Amino acid sequence: MAQSHQKRFEEIVERFVELKDTSELMIDLAYSSLLLNSKELAEEVQKLEEYVDKLHTDFELLVLSSKFKKEEARGFLGLIRLGVATEKIADAAAEIAEVVLREIEPHPVLKLTIEEAEETVTYVRVAEYSSLVNKTLREARIPEETGMWVLAIRKRDKCIRPKPDSKIEVGDILIASGYAEGEEDLKKLASP
Amino acid sequence: MPRFEKIEYKPIPVRELLLDMKNLSELMIDLAYSSALFNDKELAEDVLELEIRVDTLAYLLEIETMIAARDAEDAEALTGVSTVASAADKISDAAADIAAIVTQNIGVHPIVSEIFEKVEERLMRVKVGDESILVEKQIGELDLVARMGVDIIAVRRNKDWMINPKENEQIRCGDIIIARGAPSGVKEFKELAGGKRQKLED
Repeated sequence: MAQSHQKRFEEIVERFVELKDTSELMIDLAYSSLLLNSKELAEEVQKLEEYVDKLHTDFELLVLSSKFKKEEARGFLGLIRLGVATEKIADAAAEIAEVVLREIEPHPVLKLTIEEAEETVTYVRVAEYSSLVNKTLREARIPEETGMWVLAIRKRDKCIRPKPDSKIEVGDILIASGYAEGEEDLKKLASP
Repeated sequence: MPRFEKIEYKPIPVRELLLDMKNLSELMIDLAYSSALFNDKELAEDVLELEIRVDTLAYLLEIETMIAARDAEDAEALTGVSTVASAADKISDAAADIAAIVTQNIGVHPIVSEIFEKVEERLMRVKVGDESILVEKQIGELDLVARMGVDIIAVRRNKDWMINPKENEQIRCGDIIIARGAPSGVKEFKELAGGKRQKLED
């Protein structure tokens, strides 16, 4: 009994971490889309927003279907509210991306504000013969080799926020930002 | 009842206001989650205070954008600026909602914090004691990222916050430091700040 309880909690945490990571990824991508005036990235943010809605519903259902005791109700209410706030963050990111999807050029002050962000954003697909296949992001040393920073990894229909131990697989799409010179190096690395 | 104080208008460039809003709102997310997951009331109260600051910035920015628009074309380009500002404001509101879980004594289920601690990098908040060897050192010379994988993201001195403090910023006794890092580094850094550890190891 106690063990299944523990397992349920792990599942709740796992869902929540995914929700949180995705909303933070959306903020990064939304600001990048603004900097680069990139419709493609802005659309990615919109897609992620739909995904977050789904994640959020799953998370709430999972929390509500846990058989909790009366004295645990507060702690579970806290979890529900944490989820709602996270969803709100994702909404805000989607609003930022909407600025790019309107037909007008964003105001130059926006570009100036996101000053630390990099020059260009690129998408590369990891080919079968790439040396990156089956390596973790830590092992792949992409920033050291190419000067590009991986913002997100798209795996099938899922977009994940990269962590040092995220594994790179054939067919993954890496979304990376950096200076234009690095773009070629990254392409060579991903699809030789 | 919330108290609204009169905000004095002072001319600040839109870029500066927006940059502050962006940085503060992002910092607030980190602080808010860690206040909720580690049930840290003081940290949660800091978040609520920062929220008031973001509100003030949003108000000033709204005035500035209105002054900046000379015609319809200007106004249209500036709507993007207000949209981004209002999104940053919304993010800071969401962070305040998270902090309120703690200040209103609702809390997050303790087992969740326990599991979360295992999967996440952690944030910490430490006060620099007068015995600490960090006092009067410049942030850059400590080389914390290389030494222990700890990154200082903000320093609070009296009522002021320094977000992403500069390398040459000197640490003072009584500073409150917000940093992020792996659990072992976090533990070591806490001991250094508290004066329990008196040597920086390579």
